[in-house]
Amino acid sequence: MLRSSLRSVRAVGNAPIASAVSRQWQPAITSFVRVAGRRFYADEKRIDDSKLPKSETTTSVASELPSLKTESQVASKDVPLTPPEPEAIASSAATGAKLPTPPPTPVKKKKGFFRRLRNLVLTLMILGTVTFGGGVAYSRISDNFHDFFTEYVPFGEQAVLYFEELDLKKRYPRSLSGSSSRPKDTGAEVKIAPQSGASWRVADSGERTSSAVGKSSSKKETKSKGESKPVSEAPAKPAEKIIESAPTKQTTSVGSYKAPEVDEPSRFPPASPIDPLTVKDAEDPVVQDLVKMLNDIITVVNADNADDRFSSTIGKAKNELNKIGSKIRALKTQAEEEAASQVASRVNEFDSAANELVSRVEKALIAQESAWREEFEAEIKRLHETYNSRIQTEMEREKLVHEQKLTNKLLEQAVQLKRQFQSEIKNSVEAERQGRLGRLDQLSGAIKELEQLTTGWNDVVDMNLKTQQLHVAVEAVRASLEDTEHPRPFVRELVALRSIASDDDVVNAAIASINPTAYQRGISNPSQLIDRFRRVASEVRKASLLPEDAGVASHASSWVLSKVMFKKQGLAAGDDVESILTRTQTYLEEGDLDSAAREMNGLQGWAKTLSKDWLGEVRKVLEVQQALDVSCTLSI
Amino acid sequence: MSDTTSVPRPSSAVSRPVSEALLNEKWDRCLSNMLIKSTLGLGFGVVFSVLLFKRRAWPAFVGVGFGAGRAYEECNWSLKQASRDLKRTPA
Repeated sequence: MLRSSLRSVRAVGNAPIASAVSRQWQPAITSFVRVAGRRFYADEKRIDDSKLPKSETTTSVASELPSLKTESQVASKDVPLTPPEPEAIASSAATGAKLPTPPPTPVKKKKGFFRRLRNLVLTLMILGTVTFGGGVAYSRISDNFHDFFTEYVPFGEQAVLYFEELDLKKRYPRSLSGSSSRPKDTGAEVKIAPQSGASWRVADSGERTSSAVGKSSSKKETKSKGESKPVSEAPAKPAEKIIESAPTKQTTSVGSYKAPEVDEPSRFPPASPIDPLTVKDAEDPVVQDLVKMLNDIITVVNADNADDRFSSTIGKAKNELNKIGSKIRALKTQAEEEAASQVASRVNEFDSAANELVSRVEKALIAQESAWREEFEAEIKRLHETYNSRIQTEMEREKLVHEQKLTNKLLEQAVQLKRQFQSEIKNSVEAERQGRLGRLDQLSGAIKELEQLTTGWNDVVDMNLKTQQLHVAVEAVRASLEDTEHPRPFVRELVALRSIASDDDVVNAAIASINPTAYQRGISNPSQLIDRFRRVASEVRKASLLPEDAGVASHASSWVLSKVMFKKQGLAAGDDVESILTRTQTYLEEGDLDSAAREMNGLQGWAKTLSKDWLGEVRKVLEVQQALDVSCTLSI
Repeated sequence: MSDTTSVPRPSSAVSRPVSEALLNEKWDRCLSNMLIKSTLGLGFGVVFSVLLFKRRAWPAFVGVGFGAGRAYEECNWSLKQASRDLKRTPA
């Protein structure tokens, strides 16, 4: 409210004095205010706001104008307000939901409902027709749409078909009439067809043609009669009437024009079509043309109303025409008779000619037949001869082949006989020879046996030699092993042994079992082994008392304590290091390297590691000894 | 004897000590190690005593002790390692 008042004030003028002045100049201000209200109409409804100053004004001085204005305004406001109340009551009584509907709107609706409905229906119809027409038009253009439209839109197919037919009619306007005329023609053709057609007979064809001609002519006659009948019959009666009742009728019909003379001309127009009296002459086209011409002339005359002038001439012309028609008919009949006689003579001629032809043809056929028969016989003869000759040649060949086969067989038999003879001779000679040479064979067998014996002895001697050599070689090896004070390689001796016993697998295996280092460096003899054992034993003793995981202290203590330990003698029993050592020593002293090595192998821990090298040495020696023993046993 | 035996041994000694000499060799190494380390410790001790401790005796002893202890520990370790190797190899 405040804002509106301010605005109104502003509209009048920004000066505050305006408010003070407004009371004094009520009507002027109100007019101003109204102007202001109009100005702000677009913004919001300021008319109501602007009323307040008016109401104020009513209280003050000028009562007439403002009061009128307020009344009018109130009335404008109240008129819409008053109707809703009774309606609302009624509506609330009936249905409570229709309360919010404002009063002016129903009035408008009631007014516009039918109009809207009508508009809607109209628009729908227009739209529908437009779309239908568009669919029809478009279906004429595109085939796809045509299918769709005719299938799914009601009456679409009919409409499209109708338009298409229209189009067709536009394009081919004569096609319909032509189509109607065609079936008649085809029917006529069908009638003729069974009688027509080419045949091999000469006489029948002539008959057929004549009959066809006759029929066609008769048809033509009927047709022409049919055409001419309506023309001829109709005029025939009037023509008689012309002569008989011309005066009576002329008086009745042309009485309006002229009484005495005008009878004839009035009669002639109906008489003009009577002219084609030439009922029989209609056959001839010339006569028809003439009749037509005359008719035309008569119609012209009738049209000119100059009947009386030309009636006589026309009557003459008619008579002439009739005469001409009768003449032509006579001529025609004459011509027909002549033609018939000619045709008959021609037929006779043709018959005779045909008979001649047939006889000639038959003669020719007979001649041909005889000629062919002769040819056939000659051919058969020729074939017979050729076959005979062929058979003869075949026979000769067969004979030749047979003879050759026979000679071959003979030759084979001769060869076989020869062979038999030879074998018999051989057998006899052999028997003779064996009888004498049997003894020689025995002698040679004896000699062979002797040879075998000698060779066996040679083998034995060889074996002996070999064994001797082997033995010598083995002995050499052994000597080389034992003689020397210090280890020496004995590769050369072993190579000799191997070359001697190259074919002996056992010796080879024995030699292969020796460690290569043994014969490359040589092996130590027992005295050396014992010497080394002493050194090893002292070291082992030092480490004999070591615990499992020994440090410096335990090593030192074991070294110290080993000095104090008692020494055993002989084959001492027990598993401790000291007893093992003493046993090994005794075995060594006895020369039993094998058991000594076994004893030493039983050591554990540090003692074993310390004696590892000595054990390896002993093993090498043992291997060599074993190999030598094996080869020695073989050689013996 | 000595000459003849010494001929093959050097070659073997160079590549691999003889098995019975394994322990002795270890002892030798330990002793030499101890000698060197203790002398080093002594040297350091003496120097320290001269430079810092007005020629007192105990720094020298302490140095010797350090050296010897270190050598002992190394020796102990080597021996134990050797015994462990022994255990492993036969198995």
